[in-house]
Amino acid sequence: MGISRRDFLKTSIAGATAATVGMPLSKEAEAAVLAGEKDWQWDKGVCRFCGTGCGIMVATKGGQIVATKGDPDAPVNRGLNCVKGYFNGKINYGADRLTQPLLRMTDGKFDKKGKFTPISWEQAIDVLEEKMRWALKEKGPTGIGIFGSGQYTIHEGYAAVKLMKAGFRSNNIDPNARHCMASAVVAFMQTFGIDEPQGNYDDIEHTDTAILWGANMAEMHPILWSRITNRRLTHKDMKVVNLSVYGNMSSDIADLEIIFSPSGDLAIQNYIAHEIVARDVIDHDFVKKHTQFATGPYDIGYGFRPANAEKFNSPAEMEIVKNEKAHVIDKWEAIAQRKKEGEVVEQKHTAGLLPMKDWAISFDDFKAALAPYTLDFVAEVAKGDPDESLDAFKAKLKQLADLYCDRSRKIVSYWTMGFNQHQRGTWVNEQAYMNHLLTGRQCKPGDGAFSLTGQPSACGTAREVGTFAHRLPSDMVVMNPKHRAKSEEIWKLPAKTLNPAIGSHFVKQMRDLEDGAMLFSWTHVNNPWQNTANVNHWIKGAREMNNFIVVSEIYPGVSAKVADLILPAAMINEKWGAYGNAERRTQVWRQQILPPGQARPDIWMMMELSKRFKLKDVWGEQKIPGLKAPGFEDGKLPSVLDDAVKMGYTPETTLYEVLYATPDNKKVAWPDPIAKGHGNITADLLKDGWFPEKALFEEYRKFGTGKAHDLAPFDVYHDDKVRGLKWPVMEKDGKWVETAWRNNEKYDPYVKAGSGFDFYGNNGNKMVMGDLDKAGDGKTTVDISGKAKIYFRPYASPVEKPDANYDLWLCTGRVLEHWHSGTMTRRVPELHRAVPNAVCWINQKDADAKGLKRNDLVWVESRRGKVKVRLETGGRNKMPRGMVYVPWFDEGVLINKVTLDSTCPLSKETDYKKCSVKIYKA
Amino acid sequence: MNLSGILVVAKPEWRGHVVDALNALEGVEVHQVDEASGRIIAVQEAENIHAEIEGVKRIKALPHVIVAEMVYHYLAEDERTYESLPPELQEQQDGFETCAVPAYLNS
Repeated sequence: MGISRRDFLKTSIAGATAATVGMPLSKEAEAAVLAGEKDWQWDKGVCRFCGTGCGIMVATKGGQIVATKGDPDAPVNRGLNCVKGYFNGKINYGADRLTQPLLRMTDGKFDKKGKFTPISWEQAIDVLEEKMRWALKEKGPTGIGIFGSGQYTIHEGYAAVKLMKAGFRSNNIDPNARHCMASAVVAFMQTFGIDEPQGNYDDIEHTDTAILWGANMAEMHPILWSRITNRRLTHKDMKVVNLSVYGNMSSDIADLEIIFSPSGDLAIQNYIAHEIVARDVIDHDFVKKHTQFATGPYDIGYGFRPANAEKFNSPAEMEIVKNEKAHVIDKWEAIAQRKKEGEVVEQKHTAGLLPMKDWAISFDDFKAALAPYTLDFVAEVAKGDPDESLDAFKAKLKQLADLYCDRSRKIVSYWTMGFNQHQRGTWVNEQAYMNHLLTGRQCKPGDGAFSLTGQPSACGTAREVGTFAHRLPSDMVVMNPKHRAKSEEIWKLPAKTLNPAIGSHFVKQMRDLEDGAMLFSWTHVNNPWQNTANVNHWIKGAREMNNFIVVSEIYPGVSAKVADLILPAAMINEKWGAYGNAERRTQVWRQQILPPGQARPDIWMMMELSKRFKLKDVWGEQKIPGLKAPGFEDGKLPSVLDDAVKMGYTPETTLYEVLYATPDNKKVAWPDPIAKGHGNITADLLKDGWFPEKALFEEYRKFGTGKAHDLAPFDVYHDDKVRGLKWPVMEKDGKWVETAWRNNEKYDPYVKAGSGFDFYGNNGNKMVMGDLDKAGDGKTTVDISGKAKIYFRPYASPVEKPDANYDLWLCTGRVLEHWHSGTMTRRVPELHRAVPNAVCWINQKDADAKGLKRNDLVWVESRRGKVKVRLETGGRNKMPRGMVYVPWFDEGVLINKVTLDSTCPLSKETDYKKCSVKIYKA
Repeated sequence: MNLSGILVVAKPEWRGHVVDALNALEGVEVHQVDEASGRIIAVQEAENIHAEIEGVKRIKALPHVIVAEMVYHYLAEDERTYESLPPELQEQQDGFETCAVPAYLNS
């Protein structure tokens, strides 16, 4: 490349960069940009990675992506990208991209112990069908399962949930979002009666205070962090508080850094509430009109295997798992839960929905519950750095409470995995709302507790579409007969087709494979055998049991390697798609390039399989173990074939015709001018002239319309000027208008006129009145229509704590440069070289005490497993004594062999943030 | 050769200082400065991808730099397929053995 060409390129890049971030361009620079990008076709897109949902522009030339840049018109990121987002264009082009179906075979036949052998798609669908039929015959609908994803496009998630719930009548579909957002979801549903945050990212530019609760935004949400940084530098009253169990990059601009002990956040939240009440800075008017005090049981267990645990867990594991049955109260819990130290509490609220039980309490009871959470007590429980003095820590807690108690100050609280991946994850989410609701700081610009999401469509797909074991689209659930009836109506299914029994959640699907209850598993858009805690069990469950594991993947990650059949999938930009981000913004993209080799969209795989099943195969009578529901007294799903015939189907009609290529959907024709010349590989492969992504989106919209989950038509999002719209999106004077702040009359069309604030999600709900320890007799009930709940939730200690043998806390998480299990980002040389391998961050004094030094190769070992990793005493994370941090992106350091599969009993979300380990030289 | 467009934000009072410091870095040229907002557009030329990443880290480490983010990335056409994979992934590159269950997964 000649010098002049290089100089020219540089001018062009500088101009493009300036334009991207909205800086004025000189004429000369503008001309250089245009010339440099000759023959490139730019189109809007969305970042593939986290839940922030940054807009990116993608340039293609000759069927390849040639450049990407931050989208200057995207309101989320305003032209910026983080280092991962910046390399979006490279994730498609790793050298070991999977490009053909691979089946474990010996001598030309499937063999569980055989070697991966390339097969045709026809053969792959054959074996998929055969193995699914086998599992259905052996076990019925509960014998099959799908590991879904918060990275599904909206269309994929919708196709998958419909296939499983309407087609196979199985609720065994659960997304990796279970590992990531479930606690946030349960807290939303319990508190507000509707999922998703009220606020949006613009809160940052309206607020005076950003409080980070175990969310290292500088690394995990860098673009939002750049907006917070900007606010901190331009608004003189702005304060930033970073609460974390270790020092991290987010502390760099924080005014206050609070290092707390694992689960200490539960105590700190109650201390803040204690101060709000004691100093009487409650927003009495707001609390009276719009809230109801509530609580629930404490004896809810820890989400371990509920029965026969001894059969599957080692004696060492049982030391912890036994707490599922009975738990001994420690000295902190004795004070926090008004019990006696050493008291053995039988865990009575562990089964089914019992952990979620709640009842109304009076303000006096609420106040009494907070009484033990004094500064002295909370400081003792929650201090996380042994080298910090108690007085210094107390002073910090007081400063934090002062911020919440200053009613003139606007506050936004942010959290992600620190709260959600928590043995009491639902509780701690609810505590965040408690302090915001007490002070009237919710649903207002600059004021709100805001749950950040980890995945690009955890909100838009996993949650709104309802790809969970208990959910249907638009916040509906399988247990509710009205919700099933509405879904059956939209999906044109006979009554009683849908299964009312909650399916297996993510961790339970792994346990089902381990104990043989499930025989067929299909993984979509995630990496379950890397992302699930205590993974030694699950690898064994996949490789040594007589079952069939299918993994749709883009690269050979851990899950692909433990599979029996690998299906090569298309990536983002190789298919049409849509994601919904953390602020309820639905964003779309067109197909830009074709997938390599034989790789194909997930949606096409599901549709091809659906062609192989006829109604007579799946809609006959089905036995469901444990099914108990009104109308299903015999524990069976009835045959709906006769009713199906009355609806115009025949027993020979295929699931493809019933679920996907319906008469209505086939009217949505491909090609479509909205494509502007872009292709559609799914439509081309199906060859029957319809536009699957558009048709499914339009069908899905029917669920949310009029239910505060409204979406605009498909084409509106594809308008070149639109950069996503925050739902609910309502038509007004011919325009589609988004909702900025929910439940606030000024912004939300669903709010009752004159109410100011209206938590309509709870409309029609009643609660039984009780006291702190129990629900009442049911004679006194309160109507909570229009109200949010303020829960009292107590401190509870982590179930596994460091002891003489396993003397350190282990916390796991992400790093800036890598996305999740590293499947994509480790294929980008820039990102790989930036952080090639996981390391174990440790405090220098801990290393010294063990005779270890930086870069030593060590074993990190728990009761469950061990991994080899290099020690790091410096760098971006500053560990307090007694705690180590190992990120989970690196399959060579498979840290989930070590972690504990304890979940929040309400949300069934795993706690990846605390278990105990020992470290010694390898 | 790797070229990247980088947005640098400096505290306004130190803007001139930061511009000088950037220009003094090897391979870095300041192309545009926005006086009002303190934003600076620099273009970095680096030998290879490693140097590109290190280069941005070095800009982030400069005194008075608040933000340094790569905004625009130029993908040279000959770099579209990448030879570099993590070592344990590279070992599995031979034919369809690629997806065999590797020893490190078996405890």
